[in-house]
Amino acid sequence: MKQMKMTAKHMRVKADTHRKQLRSKAPTVSKKKKKQANDVSRNRRGPRLPSSLRRQLDLLNPKPENSEEVIDSDEADDERTERNDVYEYDEPIPEEESKKNRRFDSVDNLEYELPEDFEDENVSSSSDNDNDEDERAHKAESVSDISEAEAEEDDEERHSRLLQGITGMPSEAFQGKKRKNGVLSELPPESEYNLPNEASDGPITIQDLLDPLHGKPGYSKLRKKMYQLEKGSLTLQAPLPKIEQEKLERKVAYVKTKKEMTKWEQLVKKNREAPTVFFDEDTDVGYSTVGAIASEFEPRTEFEKKINSLVHDPEVVEAYENDGARLLEFNMVSVEDVKERQNRLAKMRSLLFRHETKAKHIKKIKSKTYHRMLKKERLKAASTQVDMDPEAAKELSMKQEFKRAEERMTLKHKNSSKWAKRILKRGMDKQDEATRAAIAEQLHLNTSLTRKMRSMNDGSGSDGSSDPDDDDDDDEDFSGSDGERTSNIINRAKEKTQQVIEEEDEIPKSGVLSLPFMVRGLKKRNEASRAEAERALEEYDAQLRNLEDESGGESLGASSGKRVFGMAMRSHVKANNATESVKYGQDSESEDLEGEEHIDLLCKKNVALQKDVQVDPGILLEESDGGHDTVFKSFEDIVKNPGPKSEYEVAIFASDSFKKMPSEKPVESETKSLQVAADRPQYCEDFKGEDQNSDTDDDEMMVDGILTSGGKIDYELPSQTELIRQAFAGDDVEGEFEKDKMDVLNKENPEPEKPVLLPGWGQWTDIQQKKGMPAWMLEEHDKAKQKRQDALKKRKDAHLKHVIISEKVDKKTEKLLSKSLPFPYTSKEVFEQSIRMPIGPEFNPVASTRVLNRPAVVKKAGVIIKPIQFEEVDPHDREGETAQSKKHPKAEKVKSLDRGRSVGAKSLKKTKPKKR
Amino acid sequence: MGAIQELSTLENSAAAPEQHASEELEVKAKKFLRGNGANLEVLKDKKLKGQLAVREELYGQSAKAAAKTEKWLMPTDGGYLEPEGLEKTWRIKQESIVREVDLLSSRKAFDIVLPELGPYKLDYTSNGRYMAVAGRRGHLAIIDMKTMALIKEIQVRETVRDVVFLHNELFFAAAQKKYAYIYNRDGTELHCLKEHGPPLKLQFLKNHFLLASTNKFGQLHYQDITTGEMVANFRTGLGRCNVMQVNPCNAVIGLGHNGGQLTMWKPTSGAPLVRMLCHRGPVTAVAFHTGGHLMATAGMDHKIKLWDLRKFETLRTYHGHANALDFSQRGLLAIGMGSFIQIRRDSSGDQDYSLYMTHRMAKGYQIGKVLFQSYEDVLGIGHSNGISSILVPGSGEPNFDSWVANPFENSRQRREKETHALLDKLPPETIMLDPRQIGTVKSSKKKEKPSEKEIEAEVEAAIEAAKNVKLKNKTKGRNKASKRAKKKLEGVVRAKRPFLEHQMEESKKRQRTSQEEVELPKSLQRFVRKKP
Repeated sequence: MKQMKMTAKHMRVKADTHRKQLRSKAPTVSKKKKKQANDVSRNRRGPRLPSSLRRQLDLLNPKPENSEEVIDSDEADDERTERNDVYEYDEPIPEEESKKNRRFDSVDNLEYELPEDFEDENVSSSSDNDNDEDERAHKAESVSDISEAEAEEDDEERHSRLLQGITGMPSEAFQGKKRKNGVLSELPPESEYNLPNEASDGPITIQDLLDPLHGKPGYSKLRKKMYQLEKGSLTLQAPLPKIEQEKLERKVAYVKTKKEMTKWEQLVKKNREAPTVFFDEDTDVGYSTVGAIASEFEPRTEFEKKINSLVHDPEVVEAYENDGARLLEFNMVSVEDVKERQNRLAKMRSLLFRHETKAKHIKKIKSKTYHRMLKKERLKAASTQVDMDPEAAKELSMKQEFKRAEERMTLKHKNSSKWAKRILKRGMDKQDEATRAAIAEQLHLNTSLTRKMRSMNDGSGSDGSSDPDDDDDDDEDFSGSDGERTSNIINRAKEKTQQVIEEEDEIPKSGVLSLPFMVRGLKKRNEASRAEAERALEEYDAQLRNLEDESGGESLGASSGKRVFGMAMRSHVKANNATESVKYGQDSESEDLEGEEHIDLLCKKNVALQKDVQVDPGILLEESDGGHDTVFKSFEDIVKNPGPKSEYEVAIFASDSFKKMPSEKPVESETKSLQVAADRPQYCEDFKGEDQNSDTDDDEMMVDGILTSGGKIDYELPSQTELIRQAFAGDDVEGEFEKDKMDVLNKENPEPEKPVLLPGWGQWTDIQQKKGMPAWMLEEHDKAKQKRQDALKKRKDAHLKHVIISEKVDKKTEKLLSKSLPFPYTSKEVFEQSIRMPIGPEFNPVASTRVLNRPAVVKKAGVIIKPIQFEEVDPHDREGETAQSKKHPKAEKVKSLDRGRSVGAKSLKKTKPKKR
Repeated sequence: MGAIQELSTLENSAAAPEQHASEELEVKAKKFLRGNGANLEVLKDKKLKGQLAVREELYGQSAKAAAKTEKWLMPTDGGYLEPEGLEKTWRIKQESIVREVDLLSSRKAFDIVLPELGPYKLDYTSNGRYMAVAGRRGHLAIIDMKTMALIKEIQVRETVRDVVFLHNELFFAAAQKKYAYIYNRDGTELHCLKEHGPPLKLQFLKNHFLLASTNKFGQLHYQDITTGEMVANFRTGLGRCNVMQVNPCNAVIGLGHNGGQLTMWKPTSGAPLVRMLCHRGPVTAVAFHTGGHLMATAGMDHKIKLWDLRKFETLRTYHGHANALDFSQRGLLAIGMGSFIQIRRDSSGDQDYSLYMTHRMAKGYQIGKVLFQSYEDVLGIGHSNGISSILVPGSGEPNFDSWVANPFENSRQRREKETHALLDKLPPETIMLDPRQIGTVKSSKKKEKPSEKEIEAEVEAAIEAAKNVKLKNKTKGRNKASKRAKKKLEGVVRAKRPFLEHQMEESKKRQRTSQEEVELPKSLQRFVRKKP
């Protein structure tokens, strides 16, 4: 097709050139022809070319006149220019005028007519086709052309006559030239074997090529086509005004762009309609597995290559693949060796494991005592080392000295820390045990570190006595109880101090210490220390006494297995002594208390019966602070001193007083009946107060129940008025209710006022009075009444006699309703239906909740949203496309996610292949 | 050929149950769809139509998924006592039931006799795990119903009239002699709510965190227990009231009064939402079905009535007294009267509650409270001589939703739930008769046409406003007094214009209507009856 087009184009070009050549050739072919052309240009027949084009054509065709007839050419030129100037776009010269001329000269011309004709025919033989062509091209103008041809002839005659007249030469001279020309143009007939000379005739035209095909099949077709082409190229129209042109251009552009844009429609529509647009392009993170990384490994260094060769040794590989046993052969290790090695490894592993578990276990131990012991052990080890190694001993002593010095300087452990200060400020008695112990320990550390010591250098002698800590520690390990241990310690301390006191310091006889002032100093110091020791002794004594007291007390109460404090303990003791017979009835101070007593009593007695029920020891422990070995005791305690007036816990459940009902009857006792009797009045009062509404019958039944069996209760019947009130409480409730309803209705829709006339207003005489109210007033009243009736009818409770439904508008509730329909909705029903389903996680399965609440756009953070790109399928650019798709294999994938999901963004990633 | 046939029949037989299952599933899914979707054909807006269609489809999927979940995750069906032949369910004694059930369940039936501390009231936590017990004579206790262990008991040495758990077992409120108190699980008194007066009854609205009480003077109090703020104090004006029950569906409180009236309240309106005359005598008990549209009341007039709360009409009336009523989770109605308990069941599905079970306590026991334990087939009874519980097959919901109420929840879950509940706490104004109204469009109270007076006033106001407009200072002769006056006049005219236009339109309309009326030939027009 393209080729065809090309050829067509080429042909058109050829035709153009041919035409031009025709024109340029014209003067050489014949003067007449040239004249004709000139005339054509003058007369403005044929194609109306724009002036510029024509000028160009003129330039191409140099004027034949200037070569031959210079003189008349001027004139002719003048004439022409005149004509051109004046009549450029004028109508051609009227034919009549020319005919007129002809009429004058028709006789003159007669003798030349024949040769002219003859010549013309000759000429036409050479350029007949051209003429033909022209004529065919201007088929529409063919009629005018015929007349034109005649006119041309006339013109030529006139011209020759003109020339004759001017030059005085016979017309043959001119015609002869023409004839000459005609001779020149007489060439052998054109055929495909005899191509016309280009120098003389110009290039070959299509016509030339076509002619020989005349009469062959398809010729007419070809001819027609040629004609059409010719025609198309020939009709050059005047360019449209610029505005029009632009308009057309725009129109075309619009159509084109529209077409371009419509292709996006589907895409855009899809994206618009999608409830959610996804931009979660999965980013390529690279390798995800170790295997993937390993597979790309290539050995580079020598070592790697070597290893690689070994690993991928075909023999090894084969062995590995076939049978693992064969690998041993390659190993060249004896079985024993392997076994040994394995054993060794196993051993090591087990050891390691054991060690590990042990370490773990130790690490987990939170016991302070254990860690203390551990520390001691470590110290012991250190001390043994000290014993063995003098160097180590020295070091240790130096360390000790340093520590002491530090302590003396900083007084770190003498309650100077913030924490200690705070605790002291609050008061030691308010602290708990642990804090107290911590403080004591600190103080102890302080004293031990700041205690004056004999020189560290002579440690050998004093080691035994000056290390009471060590001894203590040893003892502590053995001693069983806390109290014993402390007493032991104190005892030992006492002994030692006594020893110190009794021990006489022998004053050294020689050396520096024997100097008198040194002796004095020593004495002084000894005295001071003795005083101190005595004080300490006293202290120890006091402590010991205390400790003994405590332990005694504890042993007393030890039977309960619990510690008892303060008041409770004392009351305890008293309780033991107290007699069991207490007159409960007398103690009518508070009913609640009595109730409690009674319960406890009951419980005590029930304990024996309900052993089958399990008791939660935790609860028991929690229940009573006052030791609850016997509930009775605690009860008596309470009797003796009621204690604070706050709530008391009752131990019914704790002591399992609940039981299976049918199993036994409630246990009674004298005391209980007594108590109940005392209680009864109060109880009845309560009933009167609280249960006014309950039936009298029921109350009696209640009396018949357990309570009556418990004791004689003086139950008072409700008073007469009470009974009456109860019996007739529902009297005429309906009437009352109706009245109420009317009230409510009137309040919400007040009844219209009756029309009233002011006396003296609107009445002249008694005529008015007789007439009654003015009609408009009555009418208004009626209207208002009607309105009210309507309103009442519209109420929800209009047909419900015994129901009043409030019609009040709650402003606070109004806030929860929407004032108007939200935007896209136009009908209330649709809107309300659309919100009927809850979308929260409480009401929907997890998966659907997610879908229901998905935002309009789902996008991962950091993902760049690319503009939509259209993919145009172009068959010529298939290679490029495939290359691209190879580059982005993931882009090709279209994930089929939930329905309604738009994959537009995804599939659009394919870039449009660029056209070259 | 035969083989093929066999195959096809096999396929058919396989397909039949599948189809059946799918149908069943569809039926179930319908329940989760909460009604039909809107008719989208009516819509003209294509975009909205599309959106709604997508939405509806999602809803359908969700409902289907929910139905499937229900099918697989809630496999337990509730059972009932099923009689054989001439057996009557109400003849079956507790002993025989206890004998038949498994050991764990048999432990749930018990009697705790506490004769001295007066009639007992009780309350369960919403998950049914814990029970609070209040003896009138000051005995308060919490019992773990799973382990049957006493968690704590205290003696407050004061009359206790009612007890109610707050949002979980850690707190409970007791209505005592003078005030209401809040205690924690350890029996520590946390708050004394003095504003409530001497309360008779307590109720807790768990979604709104409101503690409601009625007192001797017929007052109703709402207190927000998260902020301590008193939300509302209302006087009922109907005297002493000790019948109070909250409707679990919409949190509206129903009060029973001596005059036989029942009033329904919400904290944001001082007047009762509904007042209905239920009985001729005093109302003794009220209970609401969990569905929210069924109510049972009992009165001194020897009647027990069932009400449809959508129409406020009586559905059924039964004869008998009742001191206590309660609906179970699955809709059984327990009626306590004297020492006798009746349990009725809607066996036919038409709200005709027929007798299902009976139970007789020891003679002389006066039942003060019956309460079904949720997620258990147990009915708790508080009576004058302690507390008991009996087994009522088919009363409790067999499948619990651990997001709603978990009987086995641990402390962490409890804490989590507490936090969530607090976050999801509803404001008091959300309480209304029909909570589904929330979010819908306000029903436009048909605003009647503004009266002439109003219109006049409006016109005048508009004119005044137009007159008071301050004109800008103009130049070049346009600031002349006459011009200014003219401008002002124009403004006034402009202001009047819409009203006048409206008027014209109306008059035109009227004319048109009158013309339509007068279409009879003139000769017959005189016979047209004038409209009143």
